[in-house]
Amino acid sequence: MSETFNEPFPLAYGTYDDAVKLLNKPGEKVVAEFSVNWEMIKIYCSMVEDGNASYWEEGYANKQWGGIVAPSGLLLTWPMSLQWHPKKERKHYFIAMTIPLPGDTIINVATNTEFHRHLYLGDRVSVVDELTDVSEEKKTRLGIGHFLTTKAQFFNQRDQLIAVQTNSLFRYYVPEDES
Amino acid sequence: MSGDITLKYWNEISEGDTVTTVTMDVPFERVILDAAATQDYFPGHHNPAYARHQGQKEIYLNTMAIEGFIDRVATDWAGPHTFIRKRKMQMRSSIYAGDTLRGEGTVEKCYEDDGRHLLDVKINISTDSGLCVPAELTLELPAAKSS
Repeated sequence: MSETFNEPFPLAYGTYDDAVKLLNKPGEKVVAEFSVNWEMIKIYCSMVEDGNASYWEEGYANKQWGGIVAPSGLLLTWPMSLQWHPKKERKHYFIAMTIPLPGDTIINVATNTEFHRHLYLGDRVSVVDELTDVSEEKKTRLGIGHFLTTKAQFFNQRDQLIAVQTNSLFRYYVPEDES
Repeated sequence: MSGDITLKYWNEISEGDTVTTVTMDVPFERVILDAAATQDYFPGHHNPAYARHQGQKEIYLNTMAIEGFIDRVATDWAGPHTFIRKRKMQMRSSIYAGDTLRGEGTVEKCYEDDGRHLLDVKINISTDSGLCVPAELTLELPAAKSS
């Protein structure tokens, strides 16, 4: 790498064998810093220009769902770590970031999510994430690395299951002669 | 906004129906807004030098923005009474600042399961470079308009 970058989530480095040792070991349950709030819902919806009345109109949402609900696409945002906190270290809840492997970057490959119930304003999300598969080394058009599959279960503050997400990402490096 | 709400009901929809196409420009501003809106400050979404280091040509949208656009394509068409039960998506290529998104879809299957009235819908997200993100959604809708 010829430039240095401000890495908000430093990756753990190690070997394929180190990664395999972490298979099927769920991480600690992480409770979201943010509660589900209308302000963040509106900012997200404005980003994708989604005028869905379930997110914008109390009258409609109350009648249809019993209250304003959160867009499904915001699911991963609620447990995100703050940029800075006076007492907590910045730490990504997403377990894939903590798996020791050689690659110095990542790209997401596939995401499958099953939704069981809505999140409502004021709800507090918690998540348990687990590494379920790690591939042997592969070469792709982006670089050389390993595919990681993780399974995350999201709950509300009543421990009701909100969603289950299976995610696949590629942890890789660009070989020197191609960078 | 209330006066403009369009609602489709499960009994009005048939396999092979076309989902209304949605397009949206992706200027740099939207990619930066994406990082802020989703609290995802992975540098590929806001730092062009880092994106190039990754082998990408430019900063690119994150998964959550693409999920939001896919869901919007579905619910703009079916209406806000839609519950998205499942979403499967593959990121075949990145969506960069400067691209224009196009979301197109087709109803693949209409069926009932455990008392739910469901549709399987295929939605493809493409840019001028071609197909970027194929997705499959299962949507739950009210069976019929209540009288």
